[in-house]
Amino acid sequence: MPMNSSLKRLNIDRLRHWLPLATLIILVTVVGVMEPVFLQPSTLLQLASDTAVLFILATGVTFVIMLGGIDLSLQSMASFSSVIVALTIAQLGYVSFGLAVGTGILAGFLSGIAHVKLKIPSFIATLAMGGVLFSAALVASKERSITLGDAERSYQTWVTGSHFGIPNVIIVGLIVLIVAHVLQAHTRFGRYSAAIGAGEPAAYASGVKVDRQKIFAYMLSAGFAALAGVILAGRLSSGSPTLAAEMLLPSIAAVVVGGTAITGGVGSIWRTLVGSLIISVVRIGMTFLSVNIFAQNIVFGSVLVLAVAVTIDRSKIPIVK
Amino acid sequence: MTAEIPTLSLVDVDKRFPGVHALKRVSINIMRGEVVGLIGENGAGKSTLMKILSGVYQPDAGEIRIAGQAATFDDAADANRKGIGMVFQEQSLLTNMTVGENIYLGNEAQFTRFGIVDWGRLYAAAERQLAKVQVDVDPRARADTLSFASRQMVELAKALTLEEHAGDHFVILLDEPTSVLERAEIDILFERVRALKSRASFIFVSHRLDEVLELADRIYVMKDGAVVADLNSSEADTTKLHHLMVGRSLQAEYYREPLQRPYRENVVLETENLSLGHAYKNVTFQLHAGEILGIAGVIGSGREELTRTLAGFAPHDSGLLRIDGQSVRLTTPAKAVDLGLGYVPRERRVEGLVLFLPVAANITLADLATFTRNGLINSREERRIAEGWVERLRIKTPTINTLCLNLSGGNQQKVVLAKWLQAKARILILDHPTRGLDVGAKEEVYDLARAVTSEGLAVILTSDTLEETIGLSHRLLVMRDGEITHRTDAAPGHKPSQIDLIGHMV
Repeated sequence: MPMNSSLKRLNIDRLRHWLPLATLIILVTVVGVMEPVFLQPSTLLQLASDTAVLFILATGVTFVIMLGGIDLSLQSMASFSSVIVALTIAQLGYVSFGLAVGTGILAGFLSGIAHVKLKIPSFIATLAMGGVLFSAALVASKERSITLGDAERSYQTWVTGSHFGIPNVIIVGLIVLIVAHVLQAHTRFGRYSAAIGAGEPAAYASGVKVDRQKIFAYMLSAGFAALAGVILAGRLSSGSPTLAAEMLLPSIAAVVVGGTAITGGVGSIWRTLVGSLIISVVRIGMTFLSVNIFAQNIVFGSVLVLAVAVTIDRSKIPIVK
Repeated sequence: MTAEIPTLSLVDVDKRFPGVHALKRVSINIMRGEVVGLIGENGAGKSTLMKILSGVYQPDAGEIRIAGQAATFDDAADANRKGIGMVFQEQSLLTNMTVGENIYLGNEAQFTRFGIVDWGRLYAAAERQLAKVQVDVDPRARADTLSFASRQMVELAKALTLEEHAGDHFVILLDEPTSVLERAEIDILFERVRALKSRASFIFVSHRLDEVLELADRIYVMKDGAVVADLNSSEADTTKLHHLMVGRSLQAEYYREPLQRPYRENVVLETENLSLGHAYKNVTFQLHAGEILGIAGVIGSGREELTRTLAGFAPHDSGLLRIDGQSVRLTTPAKAVDLGLGYVPRERRVEGLVLFLPVAANITLADLATFTRNGLINSREERRIAEGWVERLRIKTPTINTLCLNLSGGNQQKVVLAKWLQAKARILILDHPTRGLDVGAKEEVYDLARAVTSEGLAVILTSDTLEETIGLSHRLLVMRDGEITHRTDAAPGHKPSQIDLIGHMV
């Protein structure tokens, strides 16, 4: 009976809704008990700063995941963006950041066009775009890491500096949070994305311009990835074709761990924030436990699979392709 | 009843879900070679009963007996092994596989040696199954090359493979098997079922009372989780059954004919020699404000494609389509929506609603621009609008934040209608608007159709039953092989008979 299943679903949904936040609180408590240093304001600020880049990457891909797609190009995009900044900042100054983000938006537009107009699955379109961007970064940087000098770093104080003791990178992250939250929760684009993710045929039949929303989501995703690359270039004072390597998995894990459904339709930027913090705390916890840094993706991979399994009601999806 | 032991019986079967007593000590018997009809409104307990019979649910109390022996079904496969077959309302054949592969899907072991399937033997066996239902289908044909009617026959043939292991005592559940079939196809299905009574017993679930009367030997009527009547078909008629089901009798004004007001002068939509490929050609008609224009025709008559064209899914390739006098070509639904068309699709749960979004978001989906200021949705305004529609259309939902998934079919349909009324659609395309709805919900849809046309909306209607098309429409078009073969007025008191129209349909 519908009544029964809806009651059951209500409880499970409520559980699913609060699970990520509860997980975060438990993790923070556990790590805090094990290493009281962790709960000191300076450590927490460091944690927030370290989370910012991951959060911005995850925020971008949240828009794409919400409408049922995926963006696998984001780490190559971020790396390429750092290379663009490193190569042009001496001549262009602040404009180099705009150039990097603009390149990201263009790449996202092209991925979106390939996905929507050529009807290529998003994981193929963005996988291909990722390959293109990675190669572009390799060629442009001549396969090396470009370290930035002091003159160039002076353009990056908006990333590396701080206001009232709060690192600027956290403030940038908060601005991204607000902008992305408003886009997702209070605009037609956000609503249409949710509708497309939850039921594309009905959204289409209701007159939603599905293609347009999708292309816009890919532009946002790549644009935010490029922004993350710009910030990364500032934090590490360099640009490199592998600067953001190994960030794809944690970013997607952050979205899903936060409780956004990988199948689309359900999710929010807040969830992505919680998910990003979980990933960061897990990472720090592993450092405290002296887990080899290169082994961390084993954990993130497992966490991703687990989180997907928990956040989706498998009973509604008997078969997964 | 004789002292004969029933092939299948339920004895005092009880089933509760949190908050709902779905089945209240239900007892039914199915005798050998009998066709038992099972009717009731949505929520009466039919689906729960069918799910218990097919092993999806287990009863909380009571007993299932096969040939007098107590039995339990662990799951659907177990029920199947024990002699319960199902022919589903939504066809379950895999369209990319052949008929033979479908018939023996999951049971290929008998044709397999050392992991290799002997296709020759499988197809020969499939041919024998098809012969049982006397359908002339090549077992090597892909399922998607078959008509819906043939596919239904193949499903029946598939269910009959039960004979191979279940012996004498087997029962086939026919769950709304006629909902996608046209009349002539239904006749063939019924004829086959009758012919098979010597081999199997049947339980026939349908919303169409006349069909149940026609096919069933005996009818169980369910209401609120209990069996309220068990009567021989010869003792029953539609009015009586309807009365038993809903506790009120079928009124003469079922289709709200007294509320049918004359339509207005102004033409809101017209076509001139509209054509699309092989689907339809030279379609010319006018639709007036306040009018319900019914289109009758069998599958393949072109009416389905014509409807899709008007909804923006399949643009015409020649001829003219004018909306408010302006010539247009509807290349996308978005374009149709902009021009004031609203599509109420037959696939309500796929194209009508975003099931996993709340009621409010569905109601406002086609009209978000109206209360977006500076790019931001005014949520308070949105809630107010949604609550207004819930109240006006009496949509039964716990809150406007409830997911549409959790609403009954009738209330889901009201949400779809609310969406288009909110979007100020001036032309509604009702594509089988009462499909799968119970009698009470249908009547509410009829009331709404009358109310909106009185206010000047125009409606294009295609329907599951001819009776409904005739009852609701101001004027009727009949289509056959892609062309309009007949036009007639259907003013109250001067409605054409079904016989008049059928002649032009086939």
